[in-house]
Amino acid sequence: MNPDDIKLSKLLRQSRLSPPLPPRFRENVWRRIEDAEAPAKPESWFDVLAALVLRPRFAYATAAALVLAGAWLGMRDGMQTTRLDAQARYVALVAPNALH
Amino acid sequence: MNRSLAIVLGALALGAAVFAGSFLAARHATILCCAKSADDLSWLRDEFHLSDAEMARIRQLHEGYRPQCAKMCALIAAKNAEVQAALGNGTNVTAEAQKALADLGALRAQCRAQMLQHFAAVSQAMPPEQGRRYLAEMNRLTLTEHEQMENSMSGDTGHEHHH
Repeated sequence: MNPDDIKLSKLLRQSRLSPPLPPRFRENVWRRIEDAEAPAKPESWFDVLAALVLRPRFAYATAAALVLAGAWLGMRDGMQTTRLDAQARYVALVAPNALH
Repeated sequence: MNRSLAIVLGALALGAAVFAGSFLAARHATILCCAKSADDLSWLRDEFHLSDAEMARIRQLHEGYRPQCAKMCALIAAKNAEVQAALGNGTNVTAEAQKALADLGALRAQCRAQMLQHFAAVSQAMPPEQGRRYLAEMNRLTLTEHEQMENSMSGDTGHEHHH
């Protein structure tokens, strides 16, 4: 490095003004470090569940499972309803109500 | 805690809505889809796993039975009207009304016998095992349920009905 450059750098560093630190800066920094290092408060199972629900992977998987289960059960129910309707239609044709 | 409760309740509501939506949509689509392709005899084909040849034979029997059945229904309806007219507004059951009632019973018995004969003919057009199942099912749907209703009524009133 050029010796002039070193000189210039030194001059630039000296010319930069550092802003005054806020009151109790050092104390606050240590407090925040201590807080960060302290063990986290134990959460209730409800908070854990809420946190789990908010996870995108869990939410997508649950939504997909619900859609699949709903569609499967709906299809089964629809087929059963159709079967009973068809049965009733056939019985109404061959066994008239006049008999009852 | 309140925030967690709101999140969990919201997620449950959303999950229920997603499930209900897909259930109803699939149910509706299935009913629409199956109803389109169904004819009067589709239940027989699906329930008793019948071939095209068996269905053709059964369709022939069905088409032959329908006019007979309609004729019997018309006779029963006419006789029923006759019974109503004979009963009129009076407080006594006249001899004429009794005869009309007996005729109505005879017509119903004839109609029922004709129906059972048709069931037997249809069952014979099926593979033996399916035929037996068809007869049992038709007896359950047309006779047993009616008898159960009569039995429950006789149990409630303490009367014995013999037909």
